[in-house]
Amino acid sequence: MKPPDTILGTNLVPAPGAVFSEAEEIAKLKDSLMKRIRRSAYVFRVDCGGCNGCEIEIFAAFSPIFDAERFGIKLVSSPRHADILLYTGSMTRSMRLPAIRSYHAAPDPKIVIGYGACGCTGGIFHDLYCVWGGAESVVPVDVYIPGCPPTPAATIYGFALALGLLEQKLKARHHKEGENEVVIPIRPLIPLRLRVALEREARRMSGYRQGRIVVDRFMSILGHEGANAPFAERMKAYLDEEGDPRLTEIFERLNDIVEGRPSGWTGQSSASSSTS
Amino acid sequence: MFKLLREIVKTGDVTTRYPKKPFPISPNFRGRVEYDPLRCMACAACTIACPANALSMVTDPAAGKRTWMFNYGRCVVCARCEEVCPTEAIVLSGQFELAVRAKSDLMVTAEFSLVTCRQCDTPFAPKKEVDYAMALLERAGVNPHDLELRRVQYETCPECRRLNDFARLRETRLVSGLDAPAAALVADLVSHMAPLRSGAELEP
Amino acid sequence: MNDHVTIRRGQSHLDAIRLQYGAAIEDAEWQTENQVTVTVALASLPEVVETLYYGREGWLATIVANDERQLNGHYALYYILSMEGADRCFFVVRALVPAHKPEFPSVTPRVPAVVWGEREVRDMFGLEPVGLPDQRRLVLPDDWPDDLYPLRKGAMDYRTRPMPAAPAETYTFINEKTKTSTEVPLGPLHITSDEPAHFRLFVDGERIIDADYRLFYVHRGMEKLAETRMSYNEVNFLTDRICGICGFTHSFAYSSAVERALGIDVPERAQFIRSVAGEVERLHSNLLNVGLACHFIGFDSGFMQVFRVREKAMTIAEVLTGARKTYALTLVGGVRRDIHKAERLRILELVAELRRDVADILDILMSTANLEARTRGVGRLDPKIARDFSPSGAVVRGSGFARDTRTMHPYGAYANAPVVVHTEQGCDVLSRVLVRVEDVQNSLDIIEYLIDKMPEGPVLVEGFSYIPQRFAIGNTEAPRGDDIHWVMLGDNQKLYRWRCRAPTYANWPVLRYMFRDNSVADAPLIVASIDPCYSCCDRMTVVDVRKETTTVVPMKELERWGRERKDSPLA
Repeated sequence: MKPPDTILGTNLVPAPGAVFSEAEEIAKLKDSLMKRIRRSAYVFRVDCGGCNGCEIEIFAAFSPIFDAERFGIKLVSSPRHADILLYTGSMTRSMRLPAIRSYHAAPDPKIVIGYGACGCTGGIFHDLYCVWGGAESVVPVDVYIPGCPPTPAATIYGFALALGLLEQKLKARHHKEGENEVVIPIRPLIPLRLRVALEREARRMSGYRQGRIVVDRFMSILGHEGANAPFAERMKAYLDEEGDPRLTEIFERLNDIVEGRPSGWTGQSSASSSTS
Repeated sequence: MFKLLREIVKTGDVTTRYPKKPFPISPNFRGRVEYDPLRCMACAACTIACPANALSMVTDPAAGKRTWMFNYGRCVVCARCEEVCPTEAIVLSGQFELAVRAKSDLMVTAEFSLVTCRQCDTPFAPKKEVDYAMALLERAGVNPHDLELRRVQYETCPECRRLNDFARLRETRLVSGLDAPAAALVADLVSHMAPLRSGAELEP
Repeated sequence: MNDHVTIRRGQSHLDAIRLQYGAAIEDAEWQTENQVTVTVALASLPEVVETLYYGREGWLATIVANDERQLNGHYALYYILSMEGADRCFFVVRALVPAHKPEFPSVTPRVPAVVWGEREVRDMFGLEPVGLPDQRRLVLPDDWPDDLYPLRKGAMDYRTRPMPAAPAETYTFINEKTKTSTEVPLGPLHITSDEPAHFRLFVDGERIIDADYRLFYVHRGMEKLAETRMSYNEVNFLTDRICGICGFTHSFAYSSAVERALGIDVPERAQFIRSVAGEVERLHSNLLNVGLACHFIGFDSGFMQVFRVREKAMTIAEVLTGARKTYALTLVGGVRRDIHKAERLRILELVAELRRDVADILDILMSTANLEARTRGVGRLDPKIARDFSPSGAVVRGSGFARDTRTMHPYGAYANAPVVVHTEQGCDVLSRVLVRVEDVQNSLDIIEYLIDKMPEGPVLVEGFSYIPQRFAIGNTEAPRGDDIHWVMLGDNQKLYRWRCRAPTYANWPVLRYMFRDNSVADAPLIVASIDPCYSCCDRMTVVDVRKETTTVVPMKELERWGRERKDSPLA
C-alpha cells in the first residue's frame, strides 16, 4: 500500500482524512489475524508527537495493577515484531515520515490503533501548523481508543476490542429535534434569581462539580415542601449527619444568600480587578 | 534480595480483575461525555468553551437548522462543557470504555430548528433556546403582556435589532426599553446561561 | 502602569547595573513585587546579562522574544534571570530590536546558558543572534521554509502547513571535542522508546567522547495556538498537555502568570488545592523516575514494585481532580474542584499507605548493591558546567546547588509549607536518584501539611477584566525543575504572547557534558537521570571517531546492553 502524495507533503493544504482503502486480500489476512492472535499480540508504540501522557498510561497498563500481559499482550521494541501498531500523539510534521516507515516495517497483516485524543484525531492540537492530524492522516487505522489519556483500564478495553474479545459499546448517534420539543428549566420551585445566585456562590466556593452537587442538595432541602420541620432545622439535621465542616461552611454561605445577607467574599478581589 | 522477596510475599496479588469485573473509579471521575439532546437547546455555550474543538456547531440558514456535533475522538475530557451547560444536557459519567472500530461511531450529532427573524425572515436562533428563555421569564413571573413583547424581541435577529435600536436612538437619543427590574432579570438570565462566555458577544 | 506594586525587590541589582552601565539602562518597571523588567540599550545587552548572571548570582530562567512591532515598532527580547543570591527576584533584561534590522548581539559567548533560547528566537522570529556559533535550527523541522517565522505577528495563520523546503532531515550533528563533524545518514526507524529524539554519540571504542542530539520532533506550535485559537481559560487545558507527566505545574504556572499580570488575589484555598495537586504530580513523577532508575540498572522487580506503589499516587490525583493525569484543575482566578470530607479522608489514607510502601521499597532499593555500583561516579555533572547552563531540579541539586523555585520565589501555598530542598554533592546519577528519593518523602509531608492547614473560603474569583499588554512571569517547581511561563495579555480575549519553558529545556544542554568519558552502556542511565519525560530518545547513533564507522543501535538494544553489560552491540 503506497501512501498518497498528500502525506509526504507535496500537497499541503489541511491534512487529509483517512485516505486508504484496504486491498481485499489484506482485509482477509487481517480477519485471519484477528482469529489467530486472540491469545497473544505484540504491540509496538509509535509516538508521533504527544505529550507523553499516553506513554505513561500505556506503561501503567503493563504495571502490576493492570498487567495487560495477562492477556498475552506484550510491548516489543521493533515494528518488525509487531502485530499491533499503537500510534500516540498528534502526527507532527517531523514525525510523519518515521511514522509511515514504521507502518511499512511491520509485517502484514497488522492492526493499527489510534491511541488517545491525539492519535485518534490530533486532539487539542488538530489544526496546528506543525500537525497533520491523527494517525489516520498517514496510515489506515483499525481501532480508535479515545481519551486524554485513556486510563490503563480503558487501554485494556481497547486492546480487548481490537482483538475481538469484547464488544464495542459506543455507537454513532444522531438526534433530530422532535415536534414541540422543549427544555424544562431545572428546580422550578426556587425563584430564578435566587437559584442563579445560589449556583454562582456554590461554584465560587466549591468549583463546578462539587458546587453543583452541594447546591442541588441545598435547594432540594430548601424547596422540600410539606415537610414538618422548618428549613433551618432540616438543614442542621442534614449537616449533622454529614459531619463535614467544609460542607457546613458552604451551606452557611448559601443560607446567607437566602436570608439576604451579603456574602463576605464578594469584595475581595474587586479592588485589584477594577483597575481597568 | 531477601527484602524484595519478603515484600513480594507480603504484597500478594494486586492485579485488578477488570475486565471480568467492573473497575472501581472515584466518584468524581471525569469519564464519558453523556449528552441528552432533549435537554439541549443549542445555545453554543459548550462549543465556545471546548478547548479542543471536540464540540462544534454548524448553522445551515437555507435549511433553517443548526447541527450540534461532538467527536469523542477529539475530546480531552476536561469537562468544560459540563461546567458551562446551563441545562445539564451534558454530564460526564464514570464510563471509560470508549474504543471503537469505525471512526463514525465516535460522532454524536443533533439537529435543531431555527427561529426565523420576524423582520427579515433569516433563520438565526434555535427555537428551543428562545422557548427556554421564555419559560424562564414566565417562571419568574413576568406578566403576559411583557412576555409577548419579549418574544417579539427574541424573535428578531441581532442585525435587525441593531438597526431598530439605531433608529430608536436617533429618535429619542436614548436607549430605553425595559423597566429596571426586568432589565436586571434579563442580565441575570443571560449571564447565567453563559457564565463563562466572558467578553464574548452575548446573544439572547 | 502596575502602580499596585508597592514592595519592589531587585532594586539593589538595578542600582548596581545603573552604576556600571549608566545611560545604557533606559527604563525599569515592576510587574509584581519580585518581578522587574529593565530595558537596556541593545548593544549593552550581552554585558548586562553577563554581569547579572555571574556577578550577582543570576540564573537563567528563559528568554522570550516578542513581536511588539504593532505596539512600539520593534521586536523585544526579554532575558529572564532568577536572582538567587541576595535580593531574590526575577530580574528581566529587555532590549528592543529594530524591525528593519532584525539582529541582536548574541549573549551566548558570555553566558552559555542562553544558547537554546537564542537558537529558538532565530527559528521562530527570524531575529539573528550575531556571534552565535551554532547556526543550526533548534525547534522547527528541517524541511520548514527558511523565511517563514511562525511567531511573527501576521506571518502566517496558525493552521498553515507550508510546503517542505528541503529533503526531510538535514540536521548536522557536531562533535565539539575533536571538532570533526561527521555526516551520518538518518532515518529514525526505531522509534522504540517514548518520545522521539535523535542522539548521536561520538565514541572512541566504548568511551563516549562527545554527544549531540536533535530534539523537537514533537514540535506542534502550541505557543502560536495559544495566541490564536484559544481564549485565556482554554489555554489552561493546553498547558495541561505540554507534558503528560507534569502538565499540571504548567497550568499552575500559566494561571499564576496571568493572575500576577492583572494583580488578582487568588483565594488562599485555591492556592492550597493547587499546591496539593502540584505535590501529587511531583510525587508520581519522582516515583516514576526512581522506578526507571531500577529498570536501567537491570533491577526490573524493583521497577515493578515502584510502579505498583505509584498507582496510589495516581489514585490521589483521581480523587482530587477526577482524572489520573491532565488534571484540568485550574482556571485563571482559582480552581474547579474543592476538597470535601470524603476527598480529604481518602487522600490522607492514601498518603499514609504511600508513606509505608515507599519506605519499604526504598529500603529494598537502597540495599541493592547494583544501584550504587552502577550509578556512583556515572554521568558527572560538574558544578561549573551546571553554573554555566542553569539546569534545574534534581539535575542541579545533585550537583550541590539548592535551586528550587518553591523556596527561591515562593508561590501558591508554599511560603509556609515544610519544603526541604535536598542537595547532594556527588554530581553523579546516584546523587540525582537520592535527591528524588528525598523529594518523594518530602512531597508526602507537604501534602499532609497542606490538607491539614487548608483555609476556608472560596476557590475561585471571576468577573475581572483582562488588561491588554500587561505581562508577568509564572513559576512553579515541576518534578524535573522549574516551569517558567511568561505571558503578555492582548485584546480580543486572547494572549498577545505566551512563552513556556519546561525544565527539560534547561536540562538538555548539559547532557552532552554528562555523557563525556562515560561508557556507552551507561548512556541510557545518564539520559534517564535527567528524567526527560523518561528516556526521551528513540535510539542513538554511535560514531567511532577512530574507526570512522557508524552503527545505529536501537534504544532497546542499548537499554538491554546497559542492563546486562554483555554482547556489546558495537562489537
